[in-house]
Amino acid sequence: MQRNLPHICPSCSSTLKVKSLVCEKCTTEVTGMFSLPLLASLTQQEQDFIIDFVISSGSLKIMAQKLGLSYPTVRNLLDDIILKIETNQKNNKTTPK
Amino acid sequence: MKKWLFNPFVYVAGTKALVIGWAGILVTAVIGYFSKTHFDGVLDAHTGHSSPLWFYLEDAIVDWSLPVAIFYISGRIFSKSSIRFIDVAGTLAFARWVMLFPALIGFCVYVPESNHPTTVDELIKRSMTAPVILSGLVGIAFVAWMVALMHNAFTTSCNLKGSKAVWSFVIGLIVAEILSKIILQSI
Repeated sequence: MQRNLPHICPSCSSTLKVKSLVCEKCTTEVTGMFSLPLLASLTQQEQDFIIDFVISSGSLKIMAQKLGLSYPTVRNLLDDIILKIETNQKNNKTTPK
Repeated sequence: MKKWLFNPFVYVAGTKALVIGWAGILVTAVIGYFSKTHFDGVLDAHTGHSSPLWFYLEDAIVDWSLPVAIFYISGRIFSKSSIRFIDVAGTLAFARWVMLFPALIGFCVYVPESNHPTTVDELIKRSMTAPVILSGLVGIAFVAWMVALMHNAFTTSCNLKGSKAVWSFVIGLIVAEILSKIILQSI
């Protein structure tokens, strides 16, 4: 089962931070306060879309062919992701560190 | 299946939709010519009087081009996306394919020619037959289907959502209908 990385606090809906990172091999643990990368706040589907988009050299036409969708549908998906990223960026700026 | 019936534009748009849509529009115009079904307005389908074939083609051009022009302008004003004219033109052409059915229904209906010397009472009496009423109701259902398709064509090609999409579509459609009636009456 694929587990999604949570990025919103279930209690107060604030953006979550990373407190510790661990090495799988030697179990060394690093603790601190790290921000999640912006892309981590997107759903798995949206992240996959961005990766496909980069692999397609940013061509919406190629993306449309790959996904079996029309050009405006793919463009709308991209615009929705752009809007989400912009909103997250604004929220991150306004959230006190 | 539901998506293909009401929002095929998720899969087909642009030039492909334009070619398929215009093939459907031309077939509908030719069938309309033989079944005496006129599309004398963006949302109109009337049967009963024959005209030369070019009248039907004229209807088709006006019924398609006016919504395209109005919805493209609306899209440019209200949408933040970089919309393409070919998507608006193609999806709105594709949305009109369902008018093929009212054109076919026209074969099943006999309405007296309006230029025949009949009284208004007689005309109403002859028009109020079960087949005419039934075909009218079925025709309205197909027009409603086309409106749903046009709405989805507009929202998909212009990336509009919510109340902005609904209001700009409703106003655009009313303006297109009024203008199409005025233009087709004046030709």
